[in-house]
Amino acid sequence: MELNSNDLRFLVGDLETLSRMPETPVLPAFSEKAVGFLSQLSRLLLRDKRSGTDVKAYAYWIRRASLEAAAREGDYRNRLGRGVALHIAPSNVPVNFAVSMTSSLLAGNCTVVRVSNKPFPQVDLICETINGLLADAWGDMRPYVCVLRYEHSPSITQALSAICDLRVIWGGDHTIETIRQASLPPRAVEMAFADRYSIAVINAEAYLECSSEDVAKKFYTDTYYTDQNACSSPRLVVWLGDSIRQARERFWNALDQLAQREYTMKPIQAVDKYTAVCALGMSRPGVRYVPGGALVTRAEVDRLTADVMDFKCGSGCFFEYEAKALCEIVPVLTKRCQTVATLGVDRERIRELVISSGVRGVDRVVPLGGTMELSFVWDGFKMVESMSRYVDG
Amino acid sequence: MIEEFHRWDPYALEAEEKSRMLSRELMELTRFHRDRCPEYANFLEMLGYDESKVRTPADIPFFPVRLFKEFDLLSVDRGAVFKTMTSSGTTGQRVSKIFVDKETAMLQQKVMLRILSSFWGKGRLPMLVVDAPSVLKDRKAFAARGAAVMGLQFAAREMVFALNEDMTLNVEKFREFAKKHQGKRFVVFGFTFLVWQHFYQELLRLGERVDFSQAFLMTGGGWKKLESEAVTRAEFKKRLHEVCGFRHFLDHYGMVEQTGAIYAECECGHLHASIYSDIIIRDVQDFSPLPIGKPGIVQVVSVLPRSYPGHALLTEDEGVVLGEDDCPCGRKGKYIQILGRMKSAELRGCSDTYGAEFQ
Repeated sequence: MELNSNDLRFLVGDLETLSRMPETPVLPAFSEKAVGFLSQLSRLLLRDKRSGTDVKAYAYWIRRASLEAAAREGDYRNRLGRGVALHIAPSNVPVNFAVSMTSSLLAGNCTVVRVSNKPFPQVDLICETINGLLADAWGDMRPYVCVLRYEHSPSITQALSAICDLRVIWGGDHTIETIRQASLPPRAVEMAFADRYSIAVINAEAYLECSSEDVAKKFYTDTYYTDQNACSSPRLVVWLGDSIRQARERFWNALDQLAQREYTMKPIQAVDKYTAVCALGMSRPGVRYVPGGALVTRAEVDRLTADVMDFKCGSGCFFEYEAKALCEIVPVLTKRCQTVATLGVDRERIRELVISSGVRGVDRVVPLGGTMELSFVWDGFKMVESMSRYVDG
Repeated sequence: MIEEFHRWDPYALEAEEKSRMLSRELMELTRFHRDRCPEYANFLEMLGYDESKVRTPADIPFFPVRLFKEFDLLSVDRGAVFKTMTSSGTTGQRVSKIFVDKETAMLQQKVMLRILSSFWGKGRLPMLVVDAPSVLKDRKAFAARGAAVMGLQFAAREMVFALNEDMTLNVEKFREFAKKHQGKRFVVFGFTFLVWQHFYQELLRLGERVDFSQAFLMTGGGWKKLESEAVTRAEFKKRLHEVCGFRHFLDHYGMVEQTGAIYAECECGHLHASIYSDIIIRDVQDFSPLPIGKPGIVQVVSVLPRSYPGHALLTEDEGVVLGEDDCPCGRKGKYIQILGRMKSAELRGCSDTYGAEFQ
């Protein structure tokens, strides 16, 4: 099928730019063009009064100093773009499309991003700012960016896939399955971001030395800030140490108080959480519901098995486990496990455990409060490296 | 013992006596299901259920109704299952499976009949069902409606379906039924939006006028759909009175998970709990029971479910208890208003909603 402008709604770029992409020379990795363009985008967004927390976090991440630091992290001298990169962005994390686009441009690709049909002011703001740059001093970048929308259509996805050298799919298992029905050219590669879960490991003594309010804020950012629905939001909290009882009580109380001030919960969310906890509790013995307010719903398990992570809910629903030794977490480090957030537990120890036990999961170990931080490494991919091509010799 | 309940008129018990009888029966049922349904035993263990702490029906653990969609829950051998009832769920969603044995089925019928006779008097009445006959056959598509009609089948002396398979009014059947029963006691039953759209609107268009002043218009299925078309309950009644002469309206609230113990509408427009069941409104913040007049999450208890652990259920509806023991109609017990199904939450995060968009 021929792509035509009736089916595609361009937020950035146009059909002509898109059609020329297969012939457009790619850029070297971390080209001055791309770095300069993104850092100017950063400046404008940081200055814009309309930028909310998420847009600001994105803008901060792409400021020149941060991009240059990322460039120094690896050897990008013999790297350049793979060609046309097609990104399928998720529908419910508004700035994700720009995050995916950023690594793709830094890798040197001609970048096409399909954003959700759901309108978001963040998407409009970022695209509007990009358009301002492309129309003005950054016209050189025009051949490299298209952001578009289209109604669900396997034939459009197929037509776009047919011209791409790299396909990046966000949005989970179901989306990946749907998009994969469109075949890729023989040389093209794919990066798929599937459904994942994350956990937190806390040492009780270390916690008791922290400000409980401060930790609550960090953990709130990790969880409630995204309705605990991001892949990186911990759903299981594993406790280590001797003063667990005391630490637990203080930790959850502080979180509950913060959630009472900050979080708006609909009635159905309370019922959903109770239902999820009961589903786990029914499926096996050894689960204990911890009574309390419905804002923070939690249940304790007497042993860690992978099935605990099947009972997903979000909105502030937590499972807890008191471990005698760190290695007890191994059963939940399945291939679906993405991030381990730690407090008072050496990150090196977790990394060692992952490598020595040979588990399929854990792509990332971060301090508690850092699960939402933007990074050039995601789900085990070094993004700019994976999106670019290396010339040997 | 359930027999004790049958000795009373279904609306005879005042708060204290009802609470005492219900608590005892529900505790016994909780024990019964714990001993026979392993998943339910796990559920009780998870909550740390302690029978000695039960004072009122609100102390019996409430079970999330959605779990009937995710687990097959039985307290009898599969061989003893007499019928499996399935319920609501929009296309693509899983449906509840309720396993009913002979004993539970008979109880459901007996109690439904006892409740209904409090409104339309003793005996079975002819029934005109505002639905297509296939509602009973195509169980997947119309599970909730099919279950409601099935539940009423035994209470009807004869059952006539007023709609054709394409949901148009079967004018011939309707005229025949009206001619035969006009001026006498009978029942017209249907879900509110079907009655409005395929019965009332059609009779209006055809200019049919009938005398159903002695009949009962029994409805179910909630008012959401009509309210979204700006038709209030009062308007609904007024219009149906104008066209058919209806004076007796009998709306009801019920669910396939607690068939039989319905909440039926009295002459004052209130939905009443019978002695066989009760409503507890719970606070969304901590699930604590709320007093009269405060809206919250609807929990229902019923002493009928024997073959599955459905005697104390947390629903996904919101409602309010309007009063207890003091309705001007004279019926004792709580009377309630159902505010509708809880709205779903649109969550943030990177879960899989894009795939849904692509389907």
